[in-house]
Amino acid sequence: MKSDLIPGKHVVTTDFDGGEGIIVDLNTKKYYQLNETAMVVWKGLEKGKSMGEIVADITSAYEIPADHATSSVQRIVDNFQTYKLLGAS
Amino acid sequence: MLEDIKGWLPVDAVVVGGRPGLMWMEMSGVSLTEPFFQQTVERARRENRAELFTEFDVLLQLEKQLESVQPSGFIFHSSRCGSTLVANACRAVSGSIVLSEANAIDKLIARFITDADTPVKESLYSVFLRGVVHALAQRRTYNERHLFIKFACCSFAQLERIKRIWPAVPWLFLYRDPVETIVSNIRDVPPWLIDNDRRVLSSIIGHASEMSLEELCARTIGSLFSTAYKLANANSMLLNYNQLSVPVIASVLNFFNVSLSSEELETITRTSEVYSKEVSGTRAFVADVDAKQKLASDLVREMSERWAGEPYRLLENLVNRVNP
Repeated sequence: MKSDLIPGKHVVTTDFDGGEGIIVDLNTKKYYQLNETAMVVWKGLEKGKSMGEIVADITSAYEIPADHATSSVQRIVDNFQTYKLLGAS
Repeated sequence: MLEDIKGWLPVDAVVVGGRPGLMWMEMSGVSLTEPFFQQTVERARRENRAELFTEFDVLLQLEKQLESVQPSGFIFHSSRCGSTLVANACRAVSGSIVLSEANAIDKLIARFITDADTPVKESLYSVFLRGVVHALAQRRTYNERHLFIKFACCSFAQLERIKRIWPAVPWLFLYRDPVETIVSNIRDVPPWLIDNDRRVLSSIIGHASEMSLEELCARTIGSLFSTAYKLANANSMLLNYNQLSVPVIASVLNFFNVSLSSEELETITRTSEVYSKEVSGTRAFVADVDAKQKLASDLVREMSERWAGEPYRLLENLVNRVNP
């Protein structure tokens, strides 16, 4: 099932330093630095992946249990929402 | 708006109304032929080209939209040591873009010192720097194949941060006998040496108090020599002014993975016979090692030896070990 959350059109992202990234909210002109995990989540949302698919990306890239990955992904998505970086598909 | 900014180049990093950002100029059809980027900008400005201010976020958007050339080589230097001659030689390579001491690049590098007081800001300025280079190196004719960047001398102090952005790009460090370098800088004082904001130089020399220009210059180039000695590796080339010749310049371009045609070599030979920093290219080059040595005052010699003598000798020994 696809996520109904996608990156907002007012947000631009760029890779930096391996897996990390920077995103900018063009409305507020605020910049955010994403660590590797947050970047995987962001890229997953960009591709319209479901939360389960993003969790699978995390567990295949890093050796962590699925329940930990699920809570991490949820926390990261909550942060994206708090900062109004996401829109609805 | 982004569609409209294609063909524009960021010509300066500025603060407008308290907002840091970039000044852009419409540069369609303008070749970067002058020895320094800002000389080209001045020529374009005389044509009353349009200018525009944007904040830095535009760079992130343009990175996804503009096609650009990746860097082939970086040219660093310790001031007044032949780097403009080498940059001009790079300009003789067909399909080359040469960005020589472009304000937008070197001012952003200076902000690593003046503004990047947290890891987040450091990452941000790194992304902006990559974006500025991407915008300056945009394909405007679609014949571009090589990008060479010559940085201002003080930017070399930030080599580690620059290498973090472009780890695989080969780099050249040009240097010269410190006595001759100081004499040249004292006789014709460059902006970097009289800059009222001493934070950049203070960061390089690790000292903020007032001192003579001779001491400031000696400490700065001594520090740059030490940086070169510390960071030189298989991806770098160290070159003394006294070794400069057409075959050596050709070897620099080979080091940058450029194979020169006979026509390009001929052009380099011709351009190396004129004074490298003059726009018209008509003033003849005159070797001035002896003249500079004769002009050196006791203070210049004292400061040179105290602050730059040992790093210079270490660098020379390193070069002799690498290239016996």
